[in-house]
Amino acid sequence: MTAALRYEITRLRTLRSTWWLTFGVLFVGVGFTAIASLVIRLNLHTDELNGQQLSGDMAKFYVDAAMTQFSIVDPMFYLVAFVAAIVGVLAWGHEYRHGMIRATLTAVPQRWAVFSAKYVVVGAWVVVLVVTSCLLSLLVASIFFMGIDVSYEAEDILVTILRHVLYSVLVTWLAMSLTVLVRHQTFALVMLFLWPMGIETLVKAFAVMVSAFSGNKVYEHATRFLPFNAGGRIMQTFGALPGGTFGLQHPSQMFGDPLSLLGGTIVFGGFSALITAGAFAAFVTRDA
Amino acid sequence: MAMIEARNLAKSYAGKAAVSGLSFDVRPGTVTGFLGPNGAGKSTTMRLMLGLDNGSGTCTFDGKPFTSYAQPMREVGALLEAKPFHPTRSARNHLRMLAAANRIPDSRVDEVLGLVGLHDVAGKKPSTFSLGMGQRLGLAAALLGDPHTLILDEPANGLDPQGIHWLRELLKALAADGRSVFVSSHLLSEMALMADELVVIGKGRMIANGPVADFTKMSVRNHVRVVTPQASELASLIGAKLAGVGSVQLAAAGELTVTGLDARAVGDLAFDNAIRVHELSTHQATLEEAFLEITGSSAEYNAHAPEQHAPKPPTTPQEGPR
Repeated sequence: MTAALRYEITRLRTLRSTWWLTFGVLFVGVGFTAIASLVIRLNLHTDELNGQQLSGDMAKFYVDAAMTQFSIVDPMFYLVAFVAAIVGVLAWGHEYRHGMIRATLTAVPQRWAVFSAKYVVVGAWVVVLVVTSCLLSLLVASIFFMGIDVSYEAEDILVTILRHVLYSVLVTWLAMSLTVLVRHQTFALVMLFLWPMGIETLVKAFAVMVSAFSGNKVYEHATRFLPFNAGGRIMQTFGALPGGTFGLQHPSQMFGDPLSLLGGTIVFGGFSALITAGAFAAFVTRDA
Repeated sequence: MAMIEARNLAKSYAGKAAVSGLSFDVRPGTVTGFLGPNGAGKSTTMRLMLGLDNGSGTCTFDGKPFTSYAQPMREVGALLEAKPFHPTRSARNHLRMLAAANRIPDSRVDEVLGLVGLHDVAGKKPSTFSLGMGQRLGLAAALLGDPHTLILDEPANGLDPQGIHWLRELLKALAADGRSVFVSSHLLSEMALMADELVVIGKGRMIANGPVADFTKMSVRNHVRVVTPQASELASLIGAKLAGVGSVQLAAAGELTVTGLDARAVGDLAFDNAIRVHELSTHQATLEEAFLEITGSSAEYNAHAPEQHAPKPPTTPQEGPR
C-alpha cells in the first residue's frame, strides 16, 4: 500500500492540471468571497447591526456564507467541490485516456492498493483544498468586515468547514468511481455537472408537475432523496422556513423534509459507497 | 538468474479464443523472440503474463507471479504500449513517478534517461515526442529498476535505423549479462540478428518454440543447389538415395535443387559416381521465409494483392451536335 501511496502522490504532484485547478478554484472562490464581502459591507443595513455588532443567526449566516461562497444557501454554489471532483475524474481518466493504466499496474500490480491509494491521496488533497479555501475566504471576509464586531464561535466555523470537507470528498469519490465504471474521462466530466444541474432538476420539475396534477405532494417531497439533492443537505444550513421566511434551518427528523445533516450524509454517502463498491469490483476483475 | 515459465496461458473474448494453452520458458542469458502474425495473440499473451488481463494459466518470474512482487520493476521491466505516459508530465517526472513506487532513487532516473538518449529532453512534455522517442521513454521505464527480466512488446516500433541497431546491441548485452529478455517484433531481419530462441504463435496457439536455427530448418525453402552437366544422371542417383524423403527437381538446364540431403551428401554421391559438378551450394531459408511459410495458414488478417488494371486507351473528345 505504501508503494501505491508514493506512486499516487507523485502522480498527482507532477500533473500541471492538479495545480492550475487547485490554485484556479482558490482564486475564483476567494475572489468571489472578496467581491461578495465588499458588496455586503457596502449594503449592510444598519437595522441588521446591533450598534456595530453582528451576532446570532445573522452572524452565522454572514460568516458561513463568506467562508463557503454562499453554499450554505444553495450547494450548487460550491464550486470548490466540483473542481475537486474534476481532480478526481482526472485521477482515473488519465489512466484510461492516455493508456497509463498498464504502466501503473506494472509499477504497482496490487490492484486493491492502486484503487485505495487513489481515493486516499485524492481525498486528502480535497481536504487540504477545502480547508485552505474556507480559511482564506474567512481571512478575506474578515478584512472587509473589519470594524464590525462579529460574535461567532470557533466551534461553529470548524463544523461548517467539516461539513464542506465531507461533501467535497464524497462528490470527488463519487466522480472518481463513475470514471472507473465508464472508463471515459469526458463522459464522467459531463455527468459530474449534468447530473446535479440537469438530470436532478428535470426529475424535480417532473415530480412537482405530477404532484400539482395529482394533488399529492408525496412525489415532490420524494425528490429530497435524489443523490445530489440529499448531498446538498450536508452543507446547506440556511433556507426557507415554515411560514415562507428565510433563516437557519433545524430539520427535526433525519429523513424529514428537508433531510437532516445525518440523513443527507446517509443517502449521499450510501450512494457514493454503492458506486465506489461497483467501481472497485469492476477495477479488480476487468482487463487493464 | 531468473526464468520465465509460462504454463497453459489462455484467454478468450466473447467465446473466441485469443490465446489457448500456451506454455513456454524464457531462459536467462537469452533473447527470446516472440513472433506471430497480426492478431495472433502476442500482446494478449504478454498482458496475461503480467496479470494485466484476466485469463487462465500461470506465469512465474523466478518462481513467483508478477503480481506478488512488492517492487516489481526491480524484477521485471515491461514495455507494452507505444506511448504509455501522460502527454504533459515531463519524461523525468514520469520516471520519477514509477521509481517512487519501487523505491528506486532519482539518480537512476537520470541514468536511464541518459542510457536511452533522452537526457536532453528529460524536462520536456512527451506530447512533443516522436513515436521513436516515446519508445525510448518506454524502454527507460522498463530498464528503470535494473530488472533481471525484460518483456518488450514491439520495442523497435518507430525507432530509426540507428535506434534499432542500438536496441539490438542493448538487448544482446543485457542477455549476455545473464538476464531473460522476451521481445516481440515484426522486424524479422532484426529478430534473426538478435534472438537466440523463438516462440512462434498463430491464432493464439503455439506453432514453434526453440532455437532460431531449428525454426529456420523447418522451412522447405532450405535446399542444396547443384549445377552439373550430368543433371539427369545425378537426379536419378539422388532420388534413389532419398527413397521418398525429400525431393530433387530440375530447376533449369543443368541445375538441380535438392531437399532432404545436405551439400556434403550430394557432393559425396557425385564424387562416388564420377559425376562432374560445377557448383554446389546450400540455400538456408531466412527467418522471414520460414516465418511466412510456417505461419501462412495462421494469419488472422490476410491482405490481397492490388488488382492489376490494364491501362485504358486514351479517349478522344467527341464532338456533339452544335
